[in-house]
Amino acid sequence: MSRATRLSADRLLDRALQVYAGDPVAVARLEGHRRRLHEPLRVAVAGMVKAGKSTLINAIIGEEIAPTDAGESTRVVTWYRYGLNPRVTLIAREGEPRGLPVRRREGRLVLDLAGVPVEEVRHLIVDWPAAGLRNLTLIDTPGIGSLSQEVSARSVTFLTPEDAPSEADAIVYLLRHLHATDLRFLESFRDVEAGRSGTVNAIAVLSRADEVGSGRIDALVSARTVAERYRHDEGLRSLALDVVPVAGLLAQGARTLRQAEYAALAEIAALDRDERERLLVSADRFVRPVEGLRAAPELRRAVLERFGLFGIRLASVLLRNGITEPTPLARELARRSGLDPLLRILADQFSARAEQLKARTAVLGVEALLRERPVPEAGELTAEIERITSSAHELTELRLLAALRTGAAPLPDEARADAERLVGGSGVVPYQRLGLREGASEQEITEAATAALARWRRRAENPLSDRLTVEVCRIVSRSCEAIIASSAPAPGPALVVAAD
Amino acid sequence: MRLADLVTQGIALADEAGRSDLRKRLEQTRERLGEPSIRVIVVGEFKQGKSRLINALVGLPVCPVDDDIATSVPTLVSYGDPAGAVVVVPVEDGTDGEPVLERRPVELERLADEVSERGNPGNQRGIVAAEVTLPRKILSGGLTIVDSPGVGGLDSAHSLTTLSALPSADAMLLVSDASQEYTEPEIQFLKQALRVCPTVAAVLTKTDLYPAWRQIAELDRGHLDRVLPGIPLFPVSSELRTQAARLNDKELNEESGFPALVSYLRTQVLAQAEAVQRRAVAHDLVSVTEHLGLALQAELSALLNPERTPQVVAELEAAKERTDELRRRTSRWQLTLNDGISDLIADMEHDLRDRVRNIQRDVDEAIDSGDPGPVWDQLMEWLEQRVTAAASDTFVWTDERARWLSEQVAEHFSEAEVALPALPRSGPESGLEAVPALPELDPGHLGPMQKLLIGAKGSYGGVLMVGLVTTLVGMSLINPFSLAAGVLIGRKAYRDDKDARLRKRQSEAKSLIHKQLDEVIFQVGKQLRDRLRLVQRSIRDHFTAIADEHHRSLTASVLASQKAASLYAAEREKRVRELRAELKKVEGLRSQVPVEPPALARTA
Repeated sequence: MSRATRLSADRLLDRALQVYAGDPVAVARLEGHRRRLHEPLRVAVAGMVKAGKSTLINAIIGEEIAPTDAGESTRVVTWYRYGLNPRVTLIAREGEPRGLPVRRREGRLVLDLAGVPVEEVRHLIVDWPAAGLRNLTLIDTPGIGSLSQEVSARSVTFLTPEDAPSEADAIVYLLRHLHATDLRFLESFRDVEAGRSGTVNAIAVLSRADEVGSGRIDALVSARTVAERYRHDEGLRSLALDVVPVAGLLAQGARTLRQAEYAALAEIAALDRDERERLLVSADRFVRPVEGLRAAPELRRAVLERFGLFGIRLASVLLRNGITEPTPLARELARRSGLDPLLRILADQFSARAEQLKARTAVLGVEALLRERPVPEAGELTAEIERITSSAHELTELRLLAALRTGAAPLPDEARADAERLVGGSGVVPYQRLGLREGASEQEITEAATAALARWRRRAENPLSDRLTVEVCRIVSRSCEAIIASSAPAPGPALVVAAD
Repeated sequence: MRLADLVTQGIALADEAGRSDLRKRLEQTRERLGEPSIRVIVVGEFKQGKSRLINALVGLPVCPVDDDIATSVPTLVSYGDPAGAVVVVPVEDGTDGEPVLERRPVELERLADEVSERGNPGNQRGIVAAEVTLPRKILSGGLTIVDSPGVGGLDSAHSLTTLSALPSADAMLLVSDASQEYTEPEIQFLKQALRVCPTVAAVLTKTDLYPAWRQIAELDRGHLDRVLPGIPLFPVSSELRTQAARLNDKELNEESGFPALVSYLRTQVLAQAEAVQRRAVAHDLVSVTEHLGLALQAELSALLNPERTPQVVAELEAAKERTDELRRRTSRWQLTLNDGISDLIADMEHDLRDRVRNIQRDVDEAIDSGDPGPVWDQLMEWLEQRVTAAASDTFVWTDERARWLSEQVAEHFSEAEVALPALPRSGPESGLEAVPALPELDPGHLGPMQKLLIGAKGSYGGVLMVGLVTTLVGMSLINPFSLAAGVLIGRKAYRDDKDARLRKRQSEAKSLIHKQLDEVIFQVGKQLRDRLRLVQRSIRDHFTAIADEHHRSLTASVLASQKAASLYAAEREKRVRELRAELKKVEGLRSQVPVEPPALARTA
C-alpha cells in the first residue's frame, strides 16, 4: 500500500513538471522533490544545546565521526548520508556546492568551513560509507537555547522554514528534562510542518539518561521512570510519537569500543573493591596517577571522556559478573544504553512509514509551489493532491493519530488507546497494531483483527455516535481491514524494516 | 561588652526616664539581634542539584532529592536546637478572603513526603513553604538557606515566584551543573535577578561527574563577566562533600570545593550582613542616648544657669515647632512619599496594561491567521509564559522605582531634620545624628512574599505571586473547544459551514483571552498596588516614629527646664547631683557603643 502512495506522488510530480515546464525555478524544485522521493528518509536530530545530538548521531551511525566537545560544538546544520567514499560538501546560500577536505582528528571529522562565514553556509553534507546510513540520512542541527542566538536561529529556520516544507521528513528531538523551550520548538515544528497535514512525525529522546541519577548505577532505571512520565505528559504526547531514554555517550562508546579501552576497563573491574571505589569517586580522581595501575592516566582520561563515570561503573559491574570479551561487553553496554529501543522505534515509526512520509513531503512541496507560483492548472493539481491525501490511508492514519493524541477525538480513554494502537501508534507491523506478542501466528492476527473490526463497526453503528466518532470509526475499521487483507492467504511477507 | 547587653542597659535607662517609645524601639532592636536572619536563596533551573547542594552544606538530607523533579515548595533551612520542621499551610478564615497561614509541625524525617513532587504531586496539599531548623554550625549567626523549586525551568511561570522572593534575600546562589555552559534562559534570569538582589554568587555543581568541568567553569566565567564582572564562581561537588563527611576525609572535602563556598558565605555574605546589623544597632543605641540625654542636659543647664533658662526654653520650643512640622501631612517628605507612591502606582498600572495590550495584540493576530481550536492548550501555555514575563518585568521595574523613592524620602526627611539647640554639654560633643540611609528600613518589610520568607509569624498577606501564578495556570484549563477535532479530521464533512464555525471559534477564543488578560491586569495590578501601599506604610511609619521621638524628647526637655526654675536651692543641689549621675550613666552607655566602619553601598 505504501508503494501505491509513492506512485501517486510520482504521478503528481510528473503532472506538476508538465504544468511548470516553462518555469526553471519551479522545475528545479520539483526535480529536487522527485530525487528526494527516491532517497533515504531524512531524519533531523534536534534539541536544546548540549542535549547530546552529535553524540547520538555517532551512536546511531556506529562510528565516531560527528565532532563533539564540552562547549557547544555544532554550529552549522550537517547532513550525514550514505556514500561509497567519504566526502564533505559545503552547500552555500549562494553559489555552487564546494568540496571540503576530509580531515579527522582522533577519528572525528574536523569540519573546517574553509573560510566561508558561518551565516553563508546553508549546510554541510557528509557522505560516509556506514551501514547505518543506508536507509536513513541523519541531520545534525545546532542547539536551541544557545547563548549565541544566531546559532539557535539557524536550527529553527532550518527545521521550521516560514514558507516551504521542512528539509527533514521526521525529527528525533532530544531533551534532558522537559523545558518550555522544548515544547515551544516541537509545537512550531508541528505547526509549520506537520500542522499543514495534521500529522505527528517526531520522537522524543530523553538524552544523557546516564546523568539522571548523578551517575548512580541504577540511573537508567530512573531515566525510564522519567521517560514514562513524559510519555503521559499531555503537552508532549500530542507532539511526539514516543519518548525513550537513551544514554548517548554510553551508546556511542559501546558501538565503537576499542581494545585498549576494553583492557583498561577490565583492569579497573579487577581491582579490589576499596581501590576501585576510591578511583571512581570523581572524574578528577579517576585520572590521577595511581601506583601499580597499567592503564596510564592519559588512557584513563580517554576512557572517561568516551564512557563517562556511569559507563565505567556499569562496565565494571558487567565485567565482574562474567563478561570476559570485548564484543559481549559492547553489546551489553549498547543494550543498556537504550539505543536498541530507539533504533527499533525509528524503524517502526519512521522507516516503516518512510514512503508515506516522503510522499507527504512531496505533496506539501507541490502545494507550496502552487501557493507561491499560481498557474491556471492549479485546480487540477489541487484535486490530485486532495485525491492522494484522502486515498492514502497511511496519511489519514497519521492525521487521526495526531487527533487522538491531542485528545480532539470524542472517545472514551479505553477506546482511544485501542484506536491509537490500531492506526499504528505503537508501530505499524500487524502484531503491534493488534497488541499481540512478537511472532504471533497469522491465524491469531486475523482473528484479532476481525474482532477489532467488529468492535469498531459496532461503535460506528451506534445511533448515539456523533459524526466525528463515526469518522474515527471508519478510519480505524479501514486499518483493521488492511491488516486482515495483508495476512490473508498467500500474502507477501509483512514489510518489516529491521533495527539497523 | 556585647551589643545585646548594651541594648538591655539602654532599655533600663529608657524605663527610668519613662520613655516607652524608646523602650519599644530598643526592644525591637534586641529582637533583631537575638534572631538575626540572613537569607541566602538558592536558585537555578530544575535538576541542577540545588537541594543536594543545600543538603551537602548542612550535612543532612533535609531537602528532598529525586532523579525526577523533587522540590515542589520553597524550603527554609535555618539554625535551631533541637532540629525540627514545620510546613506552612494557608487556612481560609472566611473574613476577608485572605487566607491565614498556619504552621504545622512535622517530623523532620517525614518532611520529604510533604514537600516533594513525589509525596505531594503538583503540591496538591497547597503547602506554601517548609521551614527546617537544625543545630548546625554553618547556620549559626542567622544564616537561612532557602531552597526554591526549579520545577518549570527559569523561563517559565516559576521564575516569577523566585524573582519576587529575591528582594528579601541578602544573597543569591545561582546553581548550574557542569554538564554544560550557561544557557540563554539562565543568563536572562541572572540579569533580571541582579536588578533586585545585587549580591550574587554562581555555583557550578556536579564536578565529580564531568571530566570537562574546568572547561565549563571557564566558559561560564566568561558568560558571567559579560553580565557583570566580579561575580564569584564556585565549582563544587555535593557528592564528594557527602562522602567526605561520611569518611571524615579532609582531602576529599577540599576537593569537593565546599570549603571555599562555606568561607564565602561566612566571610562575605554573613559578615557583611552582620556588619550592617551591628551598624544599625549602634545607631539605635547612640540615637536613644541622645534622646535620653537631651532632657537631662536641658534640666541641668536650667539649674546651673538659671538666667539663661528663658533663652534655652525658647530655643527648645522653636526646635519642637520645626519637629512638629515634620509630623504634619504637608511636610515635604510626606508629600514626596504620597505623591511618589501615587505616581508609581499609576505608572505601574500603565506599564502593566501596556505590556498586556501588546500580548493581546499578538494573540489576536495569531487567532486571526488560523484556527485556535486545535492549538488551544499550546496557545494558553504560550499566553501564560508571555504574561509571566510581562509581570516579571513590571515587578522588577516597580521594585527599582520603589527603592529609589524611599531614598528620595529619606533625603527629604533628613534635610528637614531639626538641628538641636546648642546646649552646654558635659560629655563628648555630638548632636542627634541625621537619619542614615534607611538602615533599619529592612527591605524584608516590603512585601508579603518577603514576610513569608522571613518566616514572620502570623498572616503573610496574600501569597503574592505564588497565588497569582496558580490562578493563571488554573485558568488555562478551561477548554471551550469541544468541536476542535472537526478541523483535524474529516475536513470535507464540515466544508460548508467551516467558515462560519471558524469565525465563531475565533471570536470565542478572543473574548475568552481578553477576559483572562483583564483578569491578569486586575490581579497583578492589585498585588503590585498592595505591595506599593505596604512600602508607603513602612516608610511613613518609620519616619513618623523618628519625628515622634524628637517631639517627645523636646517636650520633655522644655518641661524639665521650666520645672527647674521652680526648685528651691536645697533641692537644686540634690537634683544637680542626680542629673549628673543619670547623665553619666547615659554617656557611659554611649561611649561603649562600638564605632562601626561606614556602610558599604548595597547596590553596586
